[in-house]
Amino acid sequence: MNTVLDIEQIEVRYGGVTALRDVSLKVAPGQAVALLGANGAGKSTLLKTVIGLMRARTGDVRFDGRSIATLPPQRRARLGVGYCPEGRRTFPGLQVRENLMVACWEGRAERERRVEEMFSLFPALRQKADHLAWQLSGGQQQMLAIGRSLMGRPRLLLLDEPSLGLSPVLTDEVIGRIPAIKQTGTAILLAEQNAAKALAVCDHAYVLQTGKVVGAGPAGELARSADVRKAFLGG
Amino acid sequence: MTMPATPTLSPSAVPVRQRPSPAMLVNGIIVVLLGLYLVWSGMAAGNYTLRVLSIAGIYALLAIGYQFIFGHAGALALSQGTFMGVGAYASGILAVNYGVPFDLALPISVGLPVLLALIVAAPVLRLETHYFALATLIISQVVLLIAIEWISFTGGANGIGGVPPIRIFSVTIPPGWPLLATVWGFVALGALLAWQIARGRLGQAWACVRTAPSAAAAIGLDASRLRLTAFLLSAAYAGFAGSLYVHALRVISPDVLSFPIIVSCLTIVVVGSRLRPVGALLGALLIILLPEWFRDLRDYYLLAYGCILLLVVVIAPAGLLGTLELLAGQLLPASPSPAPSPRPLEPLAVRGAAVKTSEAAAAPVLDVSRLCCSFGGVRAVDDVSLRVMAGEALGLIGPNGSGKTTLVNLVSGFYVPDSGRIALCGENITGRSSYRIARAGVARTFQTVALVEDMTALDNVSIARDVNRIGLGAALRVGLRDPVQTRAREEAAFLLEQMGAADAMMRPAGSLPYGVRRRVEIARALAVQPTLMLLDEPAAGLNETEQSDLAQRLRALLKQGTALLVIEHNMSFLAPLVDRMACLDAGRLIAEGTPQHVKSDARVLEAYLGTASELVPA
Amino acid sequence: MLALQLLFNAIALGAAYALVALGFVLILNATSAVNFAQGDLVMVGGFGALAFGSLLGLPGIVLLVPLLVVMIGIGFLLAFVAYFPVRKRPPDTVFITTIAAGIIMSNGANAIFGPEPRATPSLVSSGDWQIGGLVVSYQSAAVIIVAAALIVGLHLLFTRTQIGRRLRATAQDRDVAASIGIPVNLMVAATFAVGAALAGAAGLLLSRNFFVSPTDGANYMLKAYIAVTLGGWGSIPGAVIGALIIAAFEVAFPALPALIPALAPYAEAFTQVWSTVVLYVLILLILWQRPQGLFGEAVRARP
Repeated sequence: MNTVLDIEQIEVRYGGVTALRDVSLKVAPGQAVALLGANGAGKSTLLKTVIGLMRARTGDVRFDGRSIATLPPQRRARLGVGYCPEGRRTFPGLQVRENLMVACWEGRAERERRVEEMFSLFPALRQKADHLAWQLSGGQQQMLAIGRSLMGRPRLLLLDEPSLGLSPVLTDEVIGRIPAIKQTGTAILLAEQNAAKALAVCDHAYVLQTGKVVGAGPAGELARSADVRKAFLGG
Repeated sequence: MTMPATPTLSPSAVPVRQRPSPAMLVNGIIVVLLGLYLVWSGMAAGNYTLRVLSIAGIYALLAIGYQFIFGHAGALALSQGTFMGVGAYASGILAVNYGVPFDLALPISVGLPVLLALIVAAPVLRLETHYFALATLIISQVVLLIAIEWISFTGGANGIGGVPPIRIFSVTIPPGWPLLATVWGFVALGALLAWQIARGRLGQAWACVRTAPSAAAAIGLDASRLRLTAFLLSAAYAGFAGSLYVHALRVISPDVLSFPIIVSCLTIVVVGSRLRPVGALLGALLIILLPEWFRDLRDYYLLAYGCILLLVVVIAPAGLLGTLELLAGQLLPASPSPAPSPRPLEPLAVRGAAVKTSEAAAAPVLDVSRLCCSFGGVRAVDDVSLRVMAGEALGLIGPNGSGKTTLVNLVSGFYVPDSGRIALCGENITGRSSYRIARAGVARTFQTVALVEDMTALDNVSIARDVNRIGLGAALRVGLRDPVQTRAREEAAFLLEQMGAADAMMRPAGSLPYGVRRRVEIARALAVQPTLMLLDEPAAGLNETEQSDLAQRLRALLKQGTALLVIEHNMSFLAPLVDRMACLDAGRLIAEGTPQHVKSDARVLEAYLGTASELVPA
Repeated sequence: MLALQLLFNAIALGAAYALVALGFVLILNATSAVNFAQGDLVMVGGFGALAFGSLLGLPGIVLLVPLLVVMIGIGFLLAFVAYFPVRKRPPDTVFITTIAAGIIMSNGANAIFGPEPRATPSLVSSGDWQIGGLVVSYQSAAVIIVAAALIVGLHLLFTRTQIGRRLRATAQDRDVAASIGIPVNLMVAATFAVGAALAGAAGLLLSRNFFVSPTDGANYMLKAYIAVTLGGWGSIPGAVIGALIIAAFEVAFPALPALIPALAPYAEAFTQVWSTVVLYVLILLILWQRPQGLFGEAVRARP
């Protein structure tokens, strides 16, 4: 299989605890993959290991066939990995427009063009273009964070719990943008607690439980199996 | 998992002569070498060198004092030179203007800096690091300016000359080796006292407050009081050092209040050791003698000073002594000291009664009613009411960010609720500070284990016993064991044995595997003899054997009548353990009842999974 | 007229202080650590101006250019010596390493230039305008203009350029900044460079009227520290306001007996020294009553 992301048997430790053990995962170009699991299952850790904010002790992380496991985050980002962190973490003291601009490495004209692109993907941001990011509502901040992670035209977008702290309507709105992002050719790895909503927009899914992959398969199949429910609420 | 629980020492046996630890050995060797060097200097060196060595001794005393606030309490105070200066001015002015000799002036020359520390402590000690450093620096500047400006009293910038030499019991100490011997005699006494304090329960309590502040509050340690004790001790040592200083130099001068003094003091402690008195002696000799060794460099010797400070901070963060101790620890085999014999805990008179009456009256141990707590615009806990009875376990579940930990933080006093009431065995504890709630019988563990890494597992637990009996008194019994500590250690040994961590007892907590650290933390919570225990994700990071072992031990606790509130995501651990379960979503209580009932509640399923129906085949 | 004169003097002094405080707060935001050497950088700037002045014989305003270049280099050096080796340790470690760096600077200056206070070349030339009763010296006017130009330039750098935005983003959330491709260590080092350059410029501006000596650092550091505490820990406009408040206090206090006739009999008490004491005691009272600073902290909103 041709992959944009290929994680091979990684183990990650965090403060003496093994947060991920023997995790392998593949994402094909242009594919949307859901990463499901309860709080503490290791979803965020996995995404952080891909962008480089955490390091794997063993195993390998390959992007486009090239090992990136030892590169610092900024190098991975420049290679084409986009990361949208849990809890949004927009730059609070930067304007909305600046939050987008700062993540672009092209010349001025191209930068302006991409900002416009983000405004058409998330029209709500256009009206707030000159507001500071902390003044936005939770949903708008989430859209801004996604927009920021797309400014570098990544070939892989890591999306960490976009539904966190959002109302169901807003969750639908944010997760509903995923097909549009996918259409531009960006592959997506989406970590979500909200399994039903994630499965509805993804092609494939992995289920994590206490740091291990306990289930995987096409999204449609997983939605019908009992594995997901078990991973969240036990037997 | 079975753990042999046999203590390695039979109580009746004659205590085996214990080999000193590598760290003790290093300290001992350095003391002997320093002592030999001083004796040799006293006999052979010229007057100038003897004087420099006496000054070094005074700096050593100042630095030992500074270790209390900077090292033990972990607060970057920049006022140590000021306390020394106030002591110096007090003793000097009393001697010159009123003819009061060194020894009779001591109550004032030590008392005045302590009084100053006490006065500024209230506004200053609660400040955060950066403001605390600024405030203490400002205080030192104000005192310096006053000393320069109040010419009629202090002699202004010129100071006052003609300070007599040290006189003790009407014996005048002449310069040269008698001064050296006197100063270093006091240094030895001061170091001994500081050593006693540091290795006793007070030192352990500071370590707890410094490295695991929330854990310290959760076992009932009063951090502000402990910090005040350290601050006052620092001031007392500084005052004494200042009084020696002024009689050794024979003049009063505002130099003693200036910034270079605190810089030297800070350098001594950072270069020597932040915690060990022996490190202060080593650092003081190095830093004061350094300029003498580098005299050929002339103007550049102070440059060397800065470079050495920088180098040591970067290369040897534990200081020279700490680095030597680490090296010795790697070279020499550690011989763990024998574990104490376990002693069961006696029931606490007051709280034991409370449990019995509450059982009789069926009053809940924990009664939370209509609790609300907001952060900014987010309602983290929204109108939650809960009850936990004696001997009952309540499981608290809910998706990420639903307010579970906030609820535990509210009950244990880490946050103050906006409204609502929290009662413990019928007594209202709403709004009490966390250490007082802990003392009332609420124990808790943390999502990420919070232990003092350098302390043995045993002492991590023993420090939680009798937290209201931690003071200076024990330090004065030189060569004797503190009976409170001995007993606390025996009781801690019992608790660790109960939790199946007897083997780990005498090892530093930081060196233990994660699962054992979790159990040490629970043993520490048990040392509070809680009527209510709050466990925040106790099974996180444990393997399945460890989980079932933990569940078994928690069941034993329930049998003894302790009430449990357990936050947990791991349902296979939680469901069999608890009697009832409650589910929070977005700060609100959405379901409560038996585990089976809650797990199949439609609202719970929706909170966890989105739309429940899509995922659950009929 | 006296009030107007005092206001002018206060602005001239406050503008220079503001540069020091700005450097302090920029480094604080980028590293969450206090740069204790900030005052010593001012002193180094003063001596740097002195050295360039005697070497080149040009007016101060021209010396600013080579001085800024040298200070930028010193700022990078400071970051690599006193910050990067200890960046993973608790923030108070940086306190100690920067104290050490300050000792090195002040004793280095002492070894090279000696302990006596020295005056740097004037910015343009000596002389003044008399406008009514108002005395506007060329020096003070030039100080205000240079400081204002630097502050405006800094503002433009931070708001109008990609590198400025990246510096701000790095200060606000270093991990996320790295994850969108920003070389964060370079940005932090650049912040030290900017902070040092501002301090150096302040050294040039202040050392004509107030002279420069190797032990001046502590005094300037304290003023910057207090300005940032007053203006709100972490707030950039607050640092400027805090600096102006301090300058206004220092200028106004000795003049109080002249302004308020009732105080005239006690004129002796209104010296420069007592103005400092009163200022310090006021700061202590403020910290006591408001442990979060006068205007509160510029808290980073993180949802």
